[in-house]
Amino acid sequence: MVEQLGFVALVKLVEVSEEHSNDFLNFDLRAFCVGRLSKNRQHTEADTEENAQTAEIERRIEQETKAEKHIQKLLLLGAGESGKSTIFKQIKLLFQTGFDEAELKSYVSVIDANIYQTIKILYDGSKEFAQNDVDSSKYVLSSENQVIGEKLSEIGSRLDYPRLDKELAEEIGNLWKDSAIQETYARGNELQVPDCTHYFMESLQRLSDANYVPTKEDVLYARVRTTGVVEIQFSPVGENKKSGEVYRLFDVGGQRNERRKWIHLFEGVTAVIFCAAINEYDQTLFEDEQKNRMMETKELFDWVLKQPCFEKTSFMLFLNKFDIFEKKVLNVPLNVCEWFKDYQPVSTGKQEIEHAYEFIKKKFEELYFQSTAPDRVDRVFKVYRTTALDQKVVKKTFKLVDETLRRRNLFEAGLL
Amino acid sequence: MPMYQPSSRREVDSSQVLDLETAVKDGVLGGGGGGVITTAAFASDKLDLKIMIEELESMDVPTVFICPISLEPMHDPVTLCTGQTYERSNILKWFSLGHCTCPTTMQELWDDSVTPNKTLQQLIYSWFSQKYLAMKKRSEDVQGRVKEILENLKKIKGQARVQALKELRQVVQAHGSAKKTVVENGGIGLISSLLGPFTTHAVGSEVIGVLVSLNLDLNSKSDLLQPAKMSLIVDILNEGSIETKINCTRLIGMLMEGTDFASENIASLSLLVGLLRLVKDKKHPNGVLVGLSLLETICSHESVRSSFVNVGAVPQLVELIPGLTNECLELVLHVLELLSSTPEGRLALKDCPNTIPNIVKLLMKASENCTQLALSILWAICKFAPEECASLAVDAGVAAKLLLVIQSGCNPMLKQRSAELLKLCSLNYTTTIFISKCKLTRTIQ
Repeated sequence: MVEQLGFVALVKLVEVSEEHSNDFLNFDLRAFCVGRLSKNRQHTEADTEENAQTAEIERRIEQETKAEKHIQKLLLLGAGESGKSTIFKQIKLLFQTGFDEAELKSYVSVIDANIYQTIKILYDGSKEFAQNDVDSSKYVLSSENQVIGEKLSEIGSRLDYPRLDKELAEEIGNLWKDSAIQETYARGNELQVPDCTHYFMESLQRLSDANYVPTKEDVLYARVRTTGVVEIQFSPVGENKKSGEVYRLFDVGGQRNERRKWIHLFEGVTAVIFCAAINEYDQTLFEDEQKNRMMETKELFDWVLKQPCFEKTSFMLFLNKFDIFEKKVLNVPLNVCEWFKDYQPVSTGKQEIEHAYEFIKKKFEELYFQSTAPDRVDRVFKVYRTTALDQKVVKKTFKLVDETLRRRNLFEAGLL
Repeated sequence: MPMYQPSSRREVDSSQVLDLETAVKDGVLGGGGGGVITTAAFASDKLDLKIMIEELESMDVPTVFICPISLEPMHDPVTLCTGQTYERSNILKWFSLGHCTCPTTMQELWDDSVTPNKTLQQLIYSWFSQKYLAMKKRSEDVQGRVKEILENLKKIKGQARVQALKELRQVVQAHGSAKKTVVENGGIGLISSLLGPFTTHAVGSEVIGVLVSLNLDLNSKSDLLQPAKMSLIVDILNEGSIETKINCTRLIGMLMEGTDFASENIASLSLLVGLLRLVKDKKHPNGVLVGLSLLETICSHESVRSSFVNVGAVPQLVELIPGLTNECLELVLHVLELLSSTPEGRLALKDCPNTIPNIVKLLMKASENCTQLALSILWAICKFAPEECASLAVDAGVAAKLLLVIQSGCNPMLKQRSAELLKLCSLNYTTTIFISKCKLTRTIQ
């Protein structure tokens, strides 16, 4: 076992054994360690060099421990499909080296899967509406498209998807253009139609190219249900190119079964970035089609706020998917969601969108103060309007988050 | 009659002025006292002495230029036979009242003629001209600088923008003329446009620092009252240094003045919580005063009161009471009184254990207004929950205080109220017990 120990560990062992003067490592073992450490060296020089090496390693261990303390932990939390992973990808693109070709190519299968799954949901949905809806005729497809639909539905139910080729792309495209499917898509909130649908369906030709390499935007739109925890470490590059804080960002799965894994991450968190998709006030959960998504987010936010370990943690609330919200709110009134049942529209167009947004923001604010005990009122709470797919918005938003956290640090150090 | 003590400054001033005269005659740029005048300017502009004296009011005029009678700079100095110089109109008035003496030396005048002191008059004129032109130049410099900064702000970003705004703020705070320039050159609109959802704290706090020193018209105010900008101002209030907090608070106060706003939009929970934090900061009494003023203004709108109570305002404000200045006490009491008009407010007041003791102490203590407000609050609570509150109030010594009010010179409304409250508090006690509880002195008994 000792053979497998790395250099560092060996030094530590020797150190420790010297401290405890042989009382738990026997003499032979210690000798072996020392021997290993002085391997490849002249025995006459062994002692001094060994000391130098040990000192060097000790210094590095100390440095790393100190550095760990300065790393600020950021946690991305939120319900499923709230945009956490998209923010995660954006940060990767902004502050790390982004995606290399291999990584980009790894998304091809994800995008294919998204396309097959989506068209299947739409096709199955159209059949359901055709059966149950009063106005059934508008959900009935043309006969050729029905054939295509059955074929694609079968493909979509497999575990392994075929690579999207020109033929399939054309078939999917035809099905997508069918008015029955478009009518179904208009009622997409009643099904589990993902937000990337329109984007991918309009790009089928490009995506089915034999040499297709996904663009950064494609990768941002690609939807994979996160499971487990993913992390990256980064340092936002400031104006003067000086490295500022060091952050470690954690992304988690948002669905209910994933949330039990969250608790392991809750210690020592500098800030929670809570993502709430404000467009989903008329949608239901993937994991529970009886539950309204906004209500789920409301309860989740409440739960997170009350966690004991977040007593001093800053909360950044990202009211996300504003781009989709903008288009929806003028057509679907907010009061379909129980939480927003007291909403009164005041005008039209842009003004109304702003008014609706402010209403939602206020609701979240109220919830925050209700769920925050008096002794926690001093923690930072800020609300940001985001569209996670827009890199500029994410960059600017993160700049503000960074500024806030840095000021908070100065404040806590008594320097402000 | 105040005697003018010739200060050592006189020597310096005279020499400065003499140098100036020579300089002006020779057409050489003068150096003393700051500012530059050219012969052309001096010769052509028939500057009105009266106007200059008015505009230079704040300047330290050399004592030798001041008339001993009126203590004002002289326009037309005349000298008496004693050698003392006065403003012509003043000394003639003195003579017309029948006096034949020199006011400062008290000597009998052997010669009642007044000689115009042309030299002094010239000197006064030159001195004021020099100061006036220097001030005008400085003002122009300032105006020029302000225009420059405003032009720059249209182009620069990042750290440079922050620096420019900082400089603008300093100039505007130091020079009144700068304010006018900013307004006239569309400065308000320009810097307001810098406030948005992505504005950094650094930029935002400087912009607010400038805006708060200016006179904002109705359009500018409506622009700033937009929800996105208001959110930013509130965020900056919550995160900023004490100066920034005070600026934000004052700016919001300015915006609320005279605008017909919908209070629900302005008084967000974040703002209310931020203001509470500000007023609790005893280390910065300026902040406390400004914060309480804004809270008072906000609470004058009914719709806000219950939200304010819900964020725990009442116990925090009650805790604040001991140790406040009279001015702040009035504000705090007014806020509490406004809150007591809501059911949640009354409940919160009743539930807070220190309400009654702290407020009873204020009766007849600070000012009549305070007493009136304190009485109002006590009345509201005691009416709301007489069994609980009456006994607490009595224990806190309210009875003696109320009797004091009744016997004092306060207005009759107050006395009436005190009597009613006294009656309310005494309802559960027999007279003897009540009197004993009052701990009254025998005379009052």
